[in-house]
Order: sequence, then C-alpha cells, then structure tokens
Amino acid sequence: MTESPSLEKYVPVPSTLEGIEVYAPAPEVSAPHQPVVDFKCPQCGATTAYSVLDGGLTCTHCGYYEPPNKPVMGKGAEEFEFTVETMQRAAHGWGEPRTELECLNCGARTSLSVGSLTSTCAFCGSNKVIQREAPQDVLRPRFLVPFKIDSAKCSELTQKWLESSWMTVAGLKRLSRLAEFSGVYLPYWTFDSVTRAAWKAEVGHTKTERYYDNGEWKDRIVTEWRWERGQVQLTIDDLIVEGSQQLSRLLLGKLKDFDLCDLTPYEPTYLAGMQARAYDVTLEQAWDTARQEMRERTRQACHAQASTSQIRNFSMDLDFSAESWRYILLPVYVAGYRYQDKAYQVMVNGQTGTITGQRPVDWTKVGLVAALAVTPGLLLCLIGLLTLLFGGVGAAIGAFGLFLLILGGVIDAVIIAKAMSMDDI
Amino acid sequence: MISDMDATPDFQSPPELEAAWGFPLQLVACDLCGWGYLATGDLAKQQCPHCFKAELSPMENPQETLEQNLAYGYPPELVMPFTLTPEKLAANIQSFSQGIPYPPVDLKAESLSRRLQRIFIPVWLVDANVRADWQGEAGFNYEVVSHQEHYNEIQGGWKSQAVTETKVRWEPRRGKLDRTYPNNPVTALEGEIGLKMLLGQYQVQGAHAYTPETARQAFVRLPDRNPEDAWRELLPSLQSAAAEECRQAAKADHLRDFRWRSDFYHRNWTLLLLPLYMTHYLDDDNQPQPVYLNGQSGIASGDRRASPKRARRAGLFILAAAGLIILISLLLTLAGLMVTPLLAVGGIGLVIATLVGIAAIIPPAIAWQFNRSQKIGS
Repeated sequence: MTESPSLEKYVPVPSTLEGIEVYAPAPEVSAPHQPVVDFKCPQCGATTAYSVLDGGLTCTHCGYYEPPNKPVMGKGAEEFEFTVETMQRAAHGWGEPRTELECLNCGARTSLSVGSLTSTCAFCGSNKVIQREAPQDVLRPRFLVPFKIDSAKCSELTQKWLESSWMTVAGLKRLSRLAEFSGVYLPYWTFDSVTRAAWKAEVGHTKTERYYDNGEWKDRIVTEWRWERGQVQLTIDDLIVEGSQQLSRLLLGKLKDFDLCDLTPYEPTYLAGMQARAYDVTLEQAWDTARQEMRERTRQACHAQASTSQIRNFSMDLDFSAESWRYILLPVYVAGYRYQDKAYQVMVNGQTGTITGQRPVDWTKVGLVAALAVTPGLLLCLIGLLTLLFGGVGAAIGAFGLFLLILGGVIDAVIIAKAMSMDDI
Repeated sequence: MISDMDATPDFQSPPELEAAWGFPLQLVACDLCGWGYLATGDLAKQQCPHCFKAELSPMENPQETLEQNLAYGYPPELVMPFTLTPEKLAANIQSFSQGIPYPPVDLKAESLSRRLQRIFIPVWLVDANVRADWQGEAGFNYEVVSHQEHYNEIQGGWKSQAVTETKVRWEPRRGKLDRTYPNNPVTALEGEIGLKMLLGQYQVQGAHAYTPETARQAFVRLPDRNPEDAWRELLPSLQSAAAEECRQAAKADHLRDFRWRSDFYHRNWTLLLLPLYMTHYLDDDNQPQPVYLNGQSGIASGDRRASPKRARRAGLFILAAAGLIILISLLLTLAGLMVTPLLAVGGIGLVIATLVGIAAIIPPAIAWQFNRSQKIGS
C-alpha cells in the first residue's frame, strides 16, 4: 500500500483495542421521519394529488407539477435475506391497532383502520400519507410500481370487458351501474430463490410383446418399470405473493402480470390521493406460500426430466439457497357494480390494464349451448340403436354418435366450469 | 528499512570473545561443511555436530571471521536451558528409531544416544513498535433461515425442515494503528530450512538470562544472518499480528485484504539461544544422516529411512526358500512317476514355491513405499 487510505466519507466507530482506531463508511443520510405527510400546493395552497397521466404530483387548481425524485430501479431494487432477526420481527407486524388522525388543514379528526397508509380528509378533501415506523427498517415498503393507467381508461376497458363473453347477460354494459374506480396500492411480497433437487422414481416404458395363446400369436402392451435419477436446478426470480387478505385472492391471483422492471423507490408522492394498504399477511406466511409454489415448480421440472410421463414411487430432496425477498406496493384499481340488486367486483391491474372480476352468467343461454353440444351425438346414438335392430350399419352410426356425445360432454364440462368461475368467486 | 535500528545490539564491531562471554572460548570450524561454533575445552576437539564427518579445528583468524562472516559475536541476553530429562530424551530417541521396516543396521536407539551432541542455536527476539494506516474488509457473521424439503409419494407428500446457515457480510474498514509487538522470533542462521521449522516449536517463556556457565554445556552457533534479511522475514508475521488485532478492534469475525502503510519507529533485538540435540546414524552408503531433537520438548526431526539393502536381503532369503521348495517339489514330481500320489504333492509344492517366490518382492516393496511416504510427508 503506497498511499494512506483516505478517511473521507468514513466515521469513527468504537474500537476494542487501545492504540487502534477503526473507521467505517458513513451511513446514508436519510430524510427525517415524517409520521404524516400532508400534500399542499406550494403555489396556491390547494390539495395536490398524484397524477397517473403526468407521472407526478399535480395541482388541479393552478397546474403546479412536481416530478418524483428517484429514478426507476427495476429488478435491481434491493432485496433482503431471511436473517433470523428479520423472521422474528416480521411476525409482529406493524403493531398499531388503530390511529386517530387530526387533519392539519381543517382540524377534523379521522379514525384510520388497521393497515391504512393513506387518508383523504372527508371534510376538506386534503390528502395525507401516513408513514408508520416499522419494527424493522426493512419491513416498511421501500419500492412500488406507479400507476400507469388512469381511472378513465379503466372504465373504458371495463365497459368493453363486461360484454366480451357470450355467457354474460345481454346488455350487461347498459344494465349495470359501474361505480368509480379507486386506485389502491396493495402490499405484495416478492421472493427469489435457487432450488436444487435430486430425484429418483420408477419410470414406465411401454412396449409391445408377442405371446402365444390358444394356438396363435398375439400382441400385448406391457409396461417395464426402471429406476431413474436426476438433478434439477431452478432459479426463481421475483415470485409475487399477495400481502393482503382484504380482497379476493382468487381475483388478485389473476392480476399478477405486473412488470417489475418499473419498480421505483418508495416516495410519499406516489401515494398522494390514492389508497394504500400495509401488509396483513406476514413475511413468514407469504414465504410459506411462495415455497409451496417453488417446490411444485421444481417437482414438475423433475417430472419433465424423466424419460416418460409414467412415473411412480417418486421422491426428491430439495434444497433452497440464495433466498431473498422484498416488500413492495403494486397498483390495482377496484370497482363494483350492481346488476339486479346483486353486487359484483371488478379489478384492474393499474400498470398493465389486465381485468378480472365477476360477471353475471345467463344460465339459460349456457344451458341451451350445452344442450346443443350433446344433441347431435345423442341423436346419432338413438338412430344407431334403432338401425342396429334392423341391420349392421347401425353399429357404425351408433359408434360415431357415441364419439360425438363424449365430445359434446367434454365441451359442456368446459363451458360450465368457465361459467361458474365467472359467476361465483 | 532498518536505517533507524537501535544502538543495541552492536552489529558493527566484533567483541573480544573471552571478555565478552566470561570464560575461555574458542572459535572452531568444520573444514568439510563449514559450520563454525564457539566451544570450550574438550568440546572444541570433537567431531562436527552438524555433518559428523570431520573433526573440528580452531579458526586461524577468529577476529577476522567475526568481522567478515558473522553478524554478531556478543553473548546472548537470554538462553533457553536444556530442560529435557534423560528419560524423556531416551524415550524420544527410542520412538524415532522404532516403527521403521528394515531399518539400517546403525539406526538404533543406543547408537543415536551415544552420539548425542548439545548445541545452542541463535534466534532473534524482536520487539517492534509500529505506527500505521491500515485498511481491509471486515466480515461479520450473521444467520439466515433456509429450508430443506423432502418429497415422497409413498409417504404422503412433503416434509420441510428449517435450517440455519451462517453467512458473512463484508464491509470496508480503515483506521490507524500505534502498537507494540514484543518477542517476535526470527532465525539468526542462514539456510537450514528444516532447522527453522523445528525452531518454531519452542516456548520462549522459559528462557533465562545468560550466564557463562550456560555456554560451557554445549557448542554455540553464532548468528551469521544479515539482520536486514532477518527483518524482511519477520515483516509478514508482524503484518499478520497487526491484521488480527485490527480484526479484534473492529469487532469483526473475519478480516480480509488487509493492507497497511507502516512505520517501525523502534526496534529492540534480543539474542536468544535455543537448545538442540544433534546426533546421527549411518545409512546403507555409510553416510551420516542427521537427527535433531528439540532440547526443550524432545520432538525429533530427521530422515527416517528404511534400508533397501536389508529389504533386498530379506527378499533374497525368501527367494532362496522358494528355490528350495521348487527343488523338493521337482524331486517329488519325479518320484511321482513311480508312486502316483507323490505327483499331487509335487504339484502342490510347485504352487507353494511360486507363491513364496512372488512374496520375495514384498520386503523391497515395503521399504520403497516407506521411504517414499517419508519423502512426501516431509
């Protein structure tokens, strides 16, 4: 070492030995913690909110615009390991059952529900973002994907979606009353891991063999079972698991096509005027869910490695490594509509525009189509039976009719399953 | 750099031997191997305790030798006495000479004990004061929770086990250092790497102050190594000691990539004499093979060799036995032409002779394998 190391950007830390000084890199200076961030326009004093179209904080009164401070991180956003300390603290959640908030604008008092990160004063409409101090710094949301689609676009997409399926009632778009979309940042956990598995199983190989029976040679198909072994390594990147149980997990599960390349460091600006929820599914619970998904993917990869798909006595040893996680907020629009005094829910991915939700099914229409699917087969079967009594050609007609009947049955099963998934979630 | 070395010891001017050491001493040398010693009385006339091939003879110009060939001629500050009991010494010699397949004829405990010579080997103990700027990467252990899973279709699904793994988090650290590192040993003799390794096994805490009586007990080797060379050899161990202290100061579990910019502002050199027994045995070529014994712990070091000659002789003996069996077998086979059962006996005898003949290579193979393992291990 020819030059003395520079101590710029280093601060002294306690040393256990006399005569030895120790310096460590200075910690990053973070902005002082603000329990509540109030959004007021610096020009006119009106309430400001995050604008999806402009991608920043805007004032609708005077046109003031403030872009976000931090650049997009994407998939390079920091991840954390499952340290023993983190796992112990994550189970405790945020620790506060309820919060009373006094509006600094008009003095009104608002009671916030558990897990709320934002609030709009019901009296004066001012927007606030609540920043609770988490039991551990890593357990507060540090990244989010901003909204890319505004609520007007959501409504437009939903209107088209309502009548996109033949199974729904006619004129659903006209008959339903669609409530306004609310943008909400929902909590999610993302997980990365490398799985290594060693598997073994008996794999069946079918072959045709000839055998002599009653004076003639015959063929039969036999299955030969052989033990096979293999090893699989999978790298699973950014597996998303819902962090909230407040909304339908089935519907949320269909919206997981978020592009995490848009991950951005958390700033209260993004939440102004939006709803946001903190997690109520703990890290441990979410990791359990993610692990189940990861091991199933690994198991399927092991099955795919076998030389045939006939497998029995399958066993595998699976090892997780390089596990990491993030706690993020993802944008979702939620709206409801009513049809014949029944409430239905619609959700839209606030980044990609993917829609999912409930739609009322016209069961009469579905029933007619189902009946239509099996009718030709049924008729041909009947004709075949009748002609069989009178001649041999009936067998062929009956067989073809049976084939059509089975095919129709399969089609019916698919249609009914789809209709049930649309109607009742 | 050693430009600011302390005034003591005096590496420049050689002493008057008797005045310095306190009793009559002679500077003697071996004409064959070149080792020189300080010796007194009868010791000065004995066989060289290093090569065992020639007798020692007094140096013609001892002062010139002190000036030109030796680094330091004054008596030591400290001496480690010969503390090994005769019983322990005998036991260690016995242990060294045992367990060798087909040992040379001369490799016996009695021969080794009879030829024992005492010799003091010089070592410097260096106290170093250092100021430095240092930097490195400090490693802090932390634990993460991971999982291992086992799936078995027959046993009904998944079994999961949480495991804790220890990982290391690396962070840069820098700092300053002002410390003293006392009693760092470094050999004062050139060459003799094997001896250096043996010298590293002494406990320096048992050293006493020098008295003239101490030097009468044995040959004394004087330092012949340039102090700058000795200092250069010491620097890596000082850096390691400093790195370890910086790790402790930083409360880290590990430290890597340690670098420093050091300034040694005070050095104190203390000469210490370490006790060593030297003896030898003669190998197959009648060449003396040295054996060293640590005069404090008794640990022996030296070439333990099997005798290929003896092993070959044993093999030849077995071969001769095989030859004899073949001869008898052949006679029995011939006799078997008249008495049939003897044919079978003759045949069996031939088979046995063949096996015994093959076994003749075992003793030389054992000796070769043993000598090879000693070479790899050394």
